[in-house]
Amino acid sequence: MIDFERFTLANGLKVIVHRDTSTPMACVNILYDVGARDEDPEKTGFAHLFEHLMFGGSVNIPEYDTPLQIAGGENNAFTSNDITNYYLTLPAVNLEVAFWLESDRMLSLAFSEKSLEVQRNVVIEEFKQSYLNQPYGDIWLEIPKLAYKVHPYLWPTIGKNIDHIKYAVMDDVKAFFKKFYCPNNAILCVTGNVTVEQVKTLCEKWFAPIPMGNPPKRNLPVEPTQMEPRKLELERDVPASAIYKMYHMGKRVDKSFYTMELMADILTDGNASRLYVELVKNQKLFSEINAFTYESIDPGVFIVTGKLLDGITLERADAAIQKELAKLTVAEVQKDELEKAKNKTEAQHIFAEISILNKAMNLSFFELLGDAQNANKEVEKFFSVSEKDMLNEAINVLKETNCSTLYYRSNQKS
Amino acid sequence: MILDRKTMPGLALESKIDIIHAQEHSLPNGIPLYYVNAGTQDVIKIELVYRAGSREQDVPLVAGSTNAMLEEGTKKHSSEEIASLLDYYGSFLETSVQQDYASVTLYTLGKHLDKALPILEELIKEPSFPQNELEIYLHNNKQRFLVDEQKERVVAAKNFPSLLFGDSHPYGHKTRLEEYDGVKKEYLEAFHKKYYSAGNCAIIASGRVNEKLLNQIGDYFGKDSTDKSAAFTNRDYALHSATQKINFISSPKKDSVQSAIRMGRVLFHKTHTDAIPFQILNTILGGYFGSRLMSNIREDKGYTYGISSSVVFLQHAGYFNIGSEVGSAVCDAAVIEIYKELDRLCKEPVPADELQLVKNYLRGNFMRSMDGPFALADRFKHIWLHNMDYSYYEKYVDALSTITSKELMEIANKYLQKDSIYELVVGTKK
Repeated sequence: MIDFERFTLANGLKVIVHRDTSTPMACVNILYDVGARDEDPEKTGFAHLFEHLMFGGSVNIPEYDTPLQIAGGENNAFTSNDITNYYLTLPAVNLEVAFWLESDRMLSLAFSEKSLEVQRNVVIEEFKQSYLNQPYGDIWLEIPKLAYKVHPYLWPTIGKNIDHIKYAVMDDVKAFFKKFYCPNNAILCVTGNVTVEQVKTLCEKWFAPIPMGNPPKRNLPVEPTQMEPRKLELERDVPASAIYKMYHMGKRVDKSFYTMELMADILTDGNASRLYVELVKNQKLFSEINAFTYESIDPGVFIVTGKLLDGITLERADAAIQKELAKLTVAEVQKDELEKAKNKTEAQHIFAEISILNKAMNLSFFELLGDAQNANKEVEKFFSVSEKDMLNEAINVLKETNCSTLYYRSNQKS
Repeated sequence: MILDRKTMPGLALESKIDIIHAQEHSLPNGIPLYYVNAGTQDVIKIELVYRAGSREQDVPLVAGSTNAMLEEGTKKHSSEEIASLLDYYGSFLETSVQQDYASVTLYTLGKHLDKALPILEELIKEPSFPQNELEIYLHNNKQRFLVDEQKERVVAAKNFPSLLFGDSHPYGHKTRLEEYDGVKKEYLEAFHKKYYSAGNCAIIASGRVNEKLLNQIGDYFGKDSTDKSAAFTNRDYALHSATQKINFISSPKKDSVQSAIRMGRVLFHKTHTDAIPFQILNTILGGYFGSRLMSNIREDKGYTYGISSSVVFLQHAGYFNIGSEVGSAVCDAAVIEIYKELDRLCKEPVPADELQLVKNYLRGNFMRSMDGPFALADRFKHIWLHNMDYSYYEKYVDALSTITSKELMEIANKYLQKDSIYELVVGTKK
């Protein structure tokens, strides 16, 4: 249970405070309600490139990192399809430094040409390191567009291709900032050894003077229901073939999400999971197998993926996965099987709440979804999923007409 | 009043950092049990540590396989049953092996401890190393090995210690594919018998630890005889470093677009008087986001997504290494810049403001690393493994106030001269 207080500044900035006196540290998390899904299809990868530029100096402070490090702080950020999230931790006694830094870059950036040029290169190297120079790395460039045809989840956060990043110009950067980086498009969460009064005072001082912006109302194309199986085959110079199967499912706030998360647990989490026991241990078809969901705000996908052992064909591996998944569509899961998955999920939540950073990220994210209080209702929602819900959801989701399959064939094997 | 946004708000005066010490409690049979009772959540972590690292193995991969196979079956339960039981009680296991030691860690909610402990006991004391599971483990790891061999970064990371220590050195051996075929069930049984004994065990517990928990651990692990402590084989820790300082390995891929760089050298133990100053120097060079390597090679030149340097302390040696993946076309330029940065540390004193920044950053980092019960247990483990006590951390915090640029330059000259540095590039030759 995370206790917190919340208030909103006149300029629309939402603020959440959670006090934890067991630590000498404080954490400041700022979530901007903008992700790769908000990009222009001709300028993809921009939200993420922009995240890099947020460290290139702001209007009054030439460098972001240096003063934070002087204050004993450390920071990072990530961009997803849905959000851009910045976080830092520092000794709580130096909390004001965080407010000074974060408010200045919300006010305005330095927009330095040098920073843009360098970060373009850094992101291009990141693109190479994660997607081009990794065995299996390009899968994440290929599969989203198989599952999505119109919704912007069809491109990855890093961007559709390197050129979109290469040709980003300063005008784009400025326009993006103006559009999305304003107090009424952000959620600030402070956790750790702080008081609500202290945070209120600091917010009034540093964030309240920032003018309200005019973020666009999001109106994304809705992905039409998939009606037929989709297949893609790629051949690559990798040691083992791999298979990816993606099924459309519900949104993060839907019951579908909780159900499919538990489904993923039952299928591949640990040595007692169904696919591990059946396909890795008994039938020896895969060296590894995994199922998981995209934790996406808009309707997401459920993915089953495995690496094949020598001598196993992709067709055979695919049929074996389908056969196991089909079992979930004809009979309810065992009572203790589901209970096990729920207990595990509960424990993971309790363990995650040790960290003030996790707590800050969670509160911010649930506030974005509608209400930070829901961060405390997650376990309850997992526990409310019944065997019958699992069966119904499996029938809805785990069917070939709802599935995009990628055969990633090794050319090193016959 | 107009808000001054240009000036950094004043910092709090340095306050004393409280270091919460682990307490010691001996089990009835003498196994040392160290514990940290802290935190707000009803969670418990119990780590059983054995001197059963890879340096003890006579056959490659045996230490790691023994450790990993502990949860793959016992005389009473199959791998699947063990996982089911732990899952049901929201508990999970972590097995890990380093060069010097191996550990088995149980994470559980306090309310499920009495259900999870007997399982932990069983897999430590009565593993069965089933043949079928062992074959699957070896086979699947062989495939992972082949995938890893396609990654420049991994090839560099595997080859670098063998350049520094020599392939025959217990810290320098590089795994080969065919070694997976040499692992036999009986080797695991023998290794387990020899090293996973009560006489070779220490336990570190953290989280919500109370009297009852200490007694429970005693019930399960405090009764076996500790008379027979493991007979350690004498290893030859003499260095057989490569004669060539500059080394190149061709990229495993035809169409490689990045090269991996590793540079570094052998150092001393954690107990050495230069250990603390060197870590501060390493931070300046490549140990944090604002480091010189990051500022120059990423933030100024854009050659890489990331570059860092680190110090690794093992029981019989230590080493320092720099690692990065850079665009193939700029690899040579990046290597030149790295040498420039090493040289600059040798020739120019670190400016006062940079040193102050790093001291403050490391203080904050030290506080972060002591935050929470599990972190406190880890801090304890890291001194205990080197037979050190908490005075090490006191010295460390002290050095963060007192160390000077002059001392750091002396350390740089002692250890970072260009001709002492090993260099390895995995990539494409132009």
